[in-house]
Amino acid sequence: MKIKLLFALIVAYSLPLQAEINISGFASVNGGKVLSGKGVFGNEATFLADYPIVSTYTEDFSMKPESLFGLQFTGDLTEGLTATAQVVARGANDYDAKFEWAYISYDLNENWTLQAGKKRLPLFYYSDFFDVGYAYVWMRAPADNYTWQIFNYNGINALYSGSIGDWSLSANLYGGREDDTHNKLLSDFFFKVPVREIWKDILGGVIQVNNDWLEIRATHMQYTNEREISGQPYDFGNGNMERDGKFYGLAVNADFGNLFILTELNKLDLGDDFDTYMVSVGYRFDNITPFISYADYEQDATDGENHNTTSFGIRWDFHSSAAFKIQYDDVEDDSVNLAVAGDSESITFGIDVVF
Amino acid sequence: MKAYTLVMTLLIFATSTFANVAVIVHPSNSNTVDAAAITKIFTGKAKSFGDGSKAVPLSQKSSSATTTEFNKKALKKSSSQLKAYWSKLVFTGKGTPPKELSNDADVIKMVSTNPNTIGFVSAGSADGSVKVVHTY
Repeated sequence: MKIKLLFALIVAYSLPLQAEINISGFASVNGGKVLSGKGVFGNEATFLADYPIVSTYTEDFSMKPESLFGLQFTGDLTEGLTATAQVVARGANDYDAKFEWAYISYDLNENWTLQAGKKRLPLFYYSDFFDVGYAYVWMRAPADNYTWQIFNYNGINALYSGSIGDWSLSANLYGGREDDTHNKLLSDFFFKVPVREIWKDILGGVIQVNNDWLEIRATHMQYTNEREISGQPYDFGNGNMERDGKFYGLAVNADFGNLFILTELNKLDLGDDFDTYMVSVGYRFDNITPFISYADYEQDATDGENHNTTSFGIRWDFHSSAAFKIQYDDVEDDSVNLAVAGDSESITFGIDVVF
Repeated sequence: MKAYTLVMTLLIFATSTFANVAVIVHPSNSNTVDAAAITKIFTGKAKSFGDGSKAVPLSQKSSSATTTEFNKKALKKSSSQLKAYWSKLVFTGKGTPPKELSNDADVIKMVSTNPNTIGFVSAGSADGSVKVVHTY
């Protein structure tokens, strides 16, 4: 036994494993409750704080909906080649750890990087770092905007970064697909039966420019949607077993040092238009940052899905690697047949760390 | 006497609050490295010097006064803002923060031996083994 172990050790040491592995991570421990709410379709009063993850708060205080723990492993294989895996355990999924990102990245030259594997679908400004609460001011990216059920994809991404004069420019061109065999939002929240959601032929681009105070991001993405409900192919209407979606997004952020303004404007065209926008304003008083935010979702149809949230809160950077946040959210759900969770007023708070 | 003490206090206060930071490169590095280039290199937005050679930024522990000073003056960010900025890039595969060394001496040692590196130290500690390209 000892010899075997020794042999194994020798083999392990003699393998040309030169990769330096970096481990980094992030965590959020959040809790909250609905202070008052209506509830819809006979359900209890609910605050849906995060659509794709289905983070739902009720009138009973809970720390599960939005707490999460993430670890990132990056193996540097030198000469511009890296392999990265990010594992995230979410309270909303009983801390069942899952690979959210798993990709290989290769720097072609100073400006271009090619990435292939499983990545976050970069629809919105905050999609990529949606899970890293420490990286933004609110408790969460505004829920009324970040509603789409698919948020990862498997595919290829070409990443460009460069500069033009005083402006930095970065761009992404990506393609791939996602086959979510049990889509959480559609299965657990909307249809209440198992739903398989497929977004295929995903093709998208992002362009981002910024100088020292202004940042502008524009994006377009198109895909074809197929769905199975309880194992049966779903008819989107008139015998159409698939439908095409086109997404457009514009984000403009201005940072004046202490005062900052964050905005996002998005449209998803699925035949009907689904328009979302948000505006947030914050002010940094040293390590305390109060903010207010308004986010809106509107389906351009008769009796469509319409809701908005007014929020205010405080971020307090009480430690060099941790922030405490507290936020009040007032949700107005104006939809009737397509009501999501009804009106609610909620309080949520927690701590975000990075390490 | 009281006035003198006050002046002395002000002077001490002034020097300790506004301690200068020097940005240093290898003596053989003949590139023009101005404030704009420094900001870009230390925020991962530029990866090379003017002549195209690779630029490797070196930081110091986030708790050090020199680092705080550099972040404030060169990058216009508090240490938590900078941490938030980097966490945005690190967890999305878009960048890695500069390596953190423990003190001025380590930065000088590394910069004096590696022509690709660029670091910052408290102004007084830069010696002849490195070249100061900018002070804040």
